[in-house]
Amino acid sequence: MTALTPFTIPCVSADAMRDWARFLRDPNPIHLDPDVVRAKGLGDRVINQGPANLAYIINMLLAAFPGGHITALESRFIDNAYAGDRLTAGGRVVEAGKAHATCEVWLIADGNRPIIQGTATITL
Amino acid sequence: MDYPPPPDVTGRSLDGSDPYIIDPAENAALCRSTGVEPATDGTAHPAYYYIATQVAMGQTVAGLCALCDFDVEQGPMMASSSVRFQAPLRTGHPYRVTGEIAGLTRKSSRKLGLMDLLEYRLRLHEADGTTVLETTNVWVLPRRELMQ
Repeated sequence: MTALTPFTIPCVSADAMRDWARFLRDPNPIHLDPDVVRAKGLGDRVINQGPANLAYIINMLLAAFPGGHITALESRFIDNAYAGDRLTAGGRVVEAGKAHATCEVWLIADGNRPIIQGTATITL
Repeated sequence: MDYPPPPDVTGRSLDGSDPYIIDPAENAALCRSTGVEPATDGTAHPAYYYIATQVAMGQTVAGLCALCDFDVEQGPMMASSSVRFQAPLRTGHPYRVTGEIAGLTRKSSRKLGLMDLLEYRLRLHEADGTTVLETTNVWVLPRRELMQ
């Protein structure tokens, strides 16, 4: 199985979460206000939006298959990513044909904490 | 212990009314916020599959939760998301959304206690009706208050 080149976010940005709140039209304060995160017992840093975490996996796939198109993506959300986390999106090819490739994909925080696991199909 | 069943919302329409257009400038900002440059061929970041369907469906997040008799302030959590694309997404292009609630199931988990699993399907269409993608999202709605 061929490993895909990882895509790394060195430090998840709280500013980017404010941008994503606007993109998603979703002002949920767990993405904006660490005091709300603390009050809910969810940690002490703002929580990255799930679709932003997915975007890092998509970036990894598009870099791994230049000119390819993602035709299917299935993602299971396992844990939260927080402001300041170092995230790495990775994957490996589990099936390859002339016209498509199927990959296992994942996003992990700080080297060992799974955030997302999934599968993707790319049309080459 | 017996708990009341969740509301019967399966089949409720989530069709949107207004078209959704992926703004090129917003797409560029989104790409850069994730560490990449936007494509130069007019295609949008594929993460817009989630954003476009979520923003243009016929309910807000709070409204969708309310249909399920759940207060959005209690914190819905994404459990899974799947998508099948028929074509790449493009900026500056009007799309419309259709969809429905696929199920609301009450379950008990060791980690989260009592919860409802909300599954809903959304489709993004071209103006002529051609389907561009279909996505299915599952959210966890924690229902700890029913255990008290």
